[in-house]
Amino acid sequence: MLERVYDVFARKHRGDQLAHIGYVDALDDEMARVYAWKTYDEEHWFEMCVIRRTAIIPVNRQDGPFTGLTGEGE
Amino acid sequence: MNEPLEIRDLDGTGMSALRRLILTLADSKRMMGIRYSDWLLGAPSIEAGIAVSAMAQDEWGHARLLYAMLKDVGLDPLEVEHERPGEDYASVGALDEPFDHWAGLVAAMTVVDEAISVALLGFSRGSYEAARTRVPKMLAEEEFHASLAKAWYRRLADSSHKARTLLHDSTECLLPPVLAWLGADDASARAMVVSGVTESGESMTEVLRERLRDLTALVEVNIDRAQPNSGWDEDRARGPGRPDEEAIERVRGDRNRALLVE
Repeated sequence: MLERVYDVFARKHRGDQLAHIGYVDALDDEMARVYAWKTYDEEHWFEMCVIRRTAIIPVNRQDGPFTGLTGEGE
Repeated sequence: MNEPLEIRDLDGTGMSALRRLILTLADSKRMMGIRYSDWLLGAPSIEAGIAVSAMAQDEWGHARLLYAMLKDVGLDPLEVEHERPGEDYASVGALDEPFDHWAGLVAAMTVVDEAISVALLGFSRGSYEAARTRVPKMLAEEEFHASLAKAWYRRLADSSHKARTLLHDSTECLLPPVLAWLGADDASARAMVVSGVTESGESMTEVLRERLRDLTALVEVNIDRAQPNSGWDEDRARGPGRPDEEAIERVRGDRNRALLVE
């Protein structure tokens, strides 16, 4: 399977900051949307979005989960 | 928009037609939930399993809301949910048996769940107030089901020969009972159209074909050539067959309801 890691961000209220709440593995963006919505459904979210982990550009670290070096299935 | 339906103004034919319409939608939702629940384990990924688990909950929640409408037409929802034999279920025949493979569930998610949503859309646009107010939220939740269905359908259609073949065969197998159910044009269905409670089977079938045409073409299924199966039973509001007994026992909760002491 060629799954990618997608990070999930959400906020409960319009004025809240988006917060990282978890991740999902998905084959494409559309599946990631649904998986995120159905997996992290413990709150009544005002807004949720997902982003491919590979699209995150690290600023000050070259290690860890957001550097694009880990967590990818392809 | 149609004038709101006054239930008390319905004659005997209209009342039994509305009962039947609510029942066939609720029973189909209940069975769709059962078929999703069959895949809580065994889905291709943990995320897919979580998604179908949540979708099963959605379907059962929708079924519960629809069964509750039966109070308006003089039926006890509790009796309907827990005391009917399988042959009384008015669910779409495409959900009678469990699916042996993930491609079968993806085809059902795409064809059957979508058909139920199209039927609900017609119901929500009609004159019955409870449907107007309660069904739109169901349809909003269903948008996620449709998204997942399309994503998986495209993925399998673009996958191995085996996956494409299973998807093709499952789609061809599901379409006839779905078209018979959605496009029903018997006296009861016509009564609901005349009363403005829902839309015609013909128009809803066209909506379904439009929504699925490009998708099913990916596995060389021409939805415009698909035809409803024969054997529509007006009294049972469904085609031939019945849900498998094991599913109905699970629906009724037979095994564990026996533990309850009044």
